[in-house]
Amino acid sequence: MFDVALATLLSPVVLFFVLGLLAGLARSDITIPEAVSKGLAIYLMMAIGLKGGFEMAASGLTATIVAVMICGILLSFLLPAIAFFLLRMTTRLPSVDAAATAAHYGSISIVTFVAATQAVDLSGLPSAGYLVAVAALMETPAIVTALLLAGRDKKKTQQSAPTGLIREVALNASVVVLVGALIIGWVTGAPGKAQVEGVFITPLQGVLCLFLLDMGLSAGRGLRNGWRMLQPATIGFGIYMPLVSASLAALVAFILRLPPGDAALLMTLAASASYIAVPAAMRLALPSAKPSIYLTLSLGVTFPFNLTVGIPIYILIAQYIAG
Amino acid sequence: MEQKKRLELIIERMALARARDILEEAGLTGYTILSAMAGYGGGRRWRRSDLSTAEEMTVVISIGDEEKIEKALAELHKLLEAQIGVLSVTTVDVLRPDRF
Repeated sequence: MFDVALATLLSPVVLFFVLGLLAGLARSDITIPEAVSKGLAIYLMMAIGLKGGFEMAASGLTATIVAVMICGILLSFLLPAIAFFLLRMTTRLPSVDAAATAAHYGSISIVTFVAATQAVDLSGLPSAGYLVAVAALMETPAIVTALLLAGRDKKKTQQSAPTGLIREVALNASVVVLVGALIIGWVTGAPGKAQVEGVFITPLQGVLCLFLLDMGLSAGRGLRNGWRMLQPATIGFGIYMPLVSASLAALVAFILRLPPGDAALLMTLAASASYIAVPAAMRLALPSAKPSIYLTLSLGVTFPFNLTVGIPIYILIAQYIAG
Repeated sequence: MEQKKRLELIIERMALARARDILEEAGLTGYTILSAMAGYGGGRRWRRSDLSTAEEMTVVISIGDEEKIEKALAELHKLLEAQIGVLSVTTVDVLRPDRF
């Protein structure tokens, strides 16, 4: 069982992320051109969306899948409330910063999910494609909870930009490409897969290495520039909150009797923190919250934690609860 | 040569749409938007991220008559109460005053 965790930790994907992280912290001049980086992000969304769609076309829509989707949405609504409570209890963050930070921990990181998918495949555990749809469904409910939590202080919320907020949340690139690719994969099924697998399935692992090198650089630079803004208790939150979220998801997986691969991916989704969709939404909805706190925490602390330590732990727990 | 006012607004990307609306509603005939690379503020360095637009900053430059700039300033001031940004106005000489 621990061999699986070690193999995940020492996979090229994780090692390239660590290389980027260390290079970013050490002020290396490695730079992935911005256009390449944005192209890689769209490629990854398309690849993971198509993969999920092809697998859903093969398996169909079952009662278990619907149940997992509903539980994913409920988790995304619930987790920010828990995160907000823990932040207010353990840190000195003002309520608006705590609410904005909590939103990140109810939403998901699709790159963490992609990395977990690769780790689960590497472990030889079967996983179902519908979890990509669960990932898309878990992107936004957390934002609603955060606004409700912060809404008690009307001065801290920006009420004048609902159109911009809805547009940002519903039409951000990751949601549009991910959901679009999922539907295309679902509709085209096996014949569609045969046409595109040479571009979107076989090279995924190698492209992910390049993308995670860039993510490591971003995380390292973000951490280097922003760590002074974080109290030790806040940094601690960035490490224990994923474990709290994963524990709740593990309970859901146990109740629904999910196979270990699916359980590990659901735990990863719950444990991951957004750093793309939610920060942009928070700048519109809660502009007085400090981005230096929530971005540094989600990208500089929680993302590296999940990628290096969290995912192997979630796979181990998933194997244990699945018997 | 004739004197006009030059408005320079550095504002976060997420508030750019509102800033553009304000300039157009004030009757300014033109503006230019530049993307900021990196900077320092609020006690930390920032740089344009390829991951999230949340940290992106933009620079908006517009030149116009004083009354139009004053009209825009009142609304931009309200916008900057919530959003991150820096606003400055300078007097400049322009070659073709009829264009502004």
